[in-house]
Amino acid sequence: MKKVSFILFILFFFSYINNISAEDHSKIEITNLWISEAPKNASVLVAYATFKNNSTLPISLNNISSLLFSSIEIHKTIIKDDIASMERFSTLEIPPKSSVEFLPGDYHLMLFNPKKPMIIGSAPELLFTFSDGSKIYLEAKIKKRDINNKSHHH
Amino acid sequence: MIPSMVVLAILATSAGFYISLKQSQTKLEQNNIAEGLFWPNPKQLLEFNTTDNNGELFGLKQIEEKWSFIFFGYTNCPDICPITMSVMADTYKRIKNEYKNVQVIFVTVDPERDDTEKLNSYVSFFDSQFIGLNGSPQIKNSLTKQIGVAFYHDDKKGNYLVDHSASIFVIDPKMRLVSKLSPPHNSEEIIKKFKKIKRFIDEKS
Ligand SMILES: [Cu+2]
Repeated sequence: MKKVSFILFILFFFSYINNISAEDHSKIEITNLWISEAPKNASVLVAYATFKNNSTLPISLNNISSLLFSSIEIHKTIIKDDIASMERFSTLEIPPKSSVEFLPGDYHLMLFNPKKPMIIGSAPELLFTFSDGSKIYLEAKIKKRDINNKSHHH
Repeated sequence: MIPSMVVLAILATSAGFYISLKQSQTKLEQNNIAEGLFWPNPKQLLEFNTTDNNGELFGLKQIEEKWSFIFFGYTNCPDICPITMSVMADTYKRIKNEYKNVQVIFVTVDPERDDTEKLNSYVSFFDSQFIGLNGSPQIKNSLTKQIGVAFYHDDKKGNYLVDHSASIFVIDPKMRLVSKLSPPHNSEEIIKKFKKIKRFIDEKS
């Protein structure tokens, strides 16, 4: 019994160390990933996040997927001559040593056909795949929209 | 990153063609009384009978003697539409006690997907008093035709998108389109402009 728990401890310890070092050397970081709370029967949800490229080469976000959505797309909201439209990007480049922020009224992730209602407290996991081959699994937080967000102001 | 022109070109060709419902709204006169005020010739709305989020008939009679804020959008638009609706919800909360005859109306430009039930849960998510209308852009004298703008895919396959007005339109108690509030929207500005417009219109009558 003692032996088993010791082995488990070792395994756990190494996976922990491994995670930390992977984190330290990660070329891409995703922060503040959140989904805006929406009506319960909404067919399309939206997510925002910040993508930071720590490397010295450009890296592209190539794919986003989740078991809880039929598909996920990169969009940008554009308002021109008072007409709102959304432009779809098949991939999005994050320039070296810089960040791309997804914000309300700007770049966003379109999450199609949620398999279950996303309510405050849900934590759907999204998988991000980048051009350098790296993959990041991340839980999204469901949050209420804050209308005082700076992006809506002049 | 794909240049936007390429995306637009691909979109335009693959979609076949768009139907433009852009109507007279653009040429309306504006002057200095308040930014976005249509004066001296505000457009008098014609009967547009449609159904609301409870399945009830909604037409000119339902906007008479009221100040209406109208926004065009669709429930599958998760970014700009909820932003505007949230701003309107905040605006409404802050003025509804002072101005009892104010109403907020969301007109869907995607009535095929936005049925009554969807429309109802959508508008009430923002405020239980909000009204959702079936825009039926194709119908003669629909609100979309009279004051809004919508461009959509003719084939309507898959997760199609609809381009639509980003402005909030203000209808006075005499059922005239008196103002267009342009984005970006924020509640403080909307309230300020509304008070200005209301004072001006009240003085005129
Ligand atoms: Cu979008």
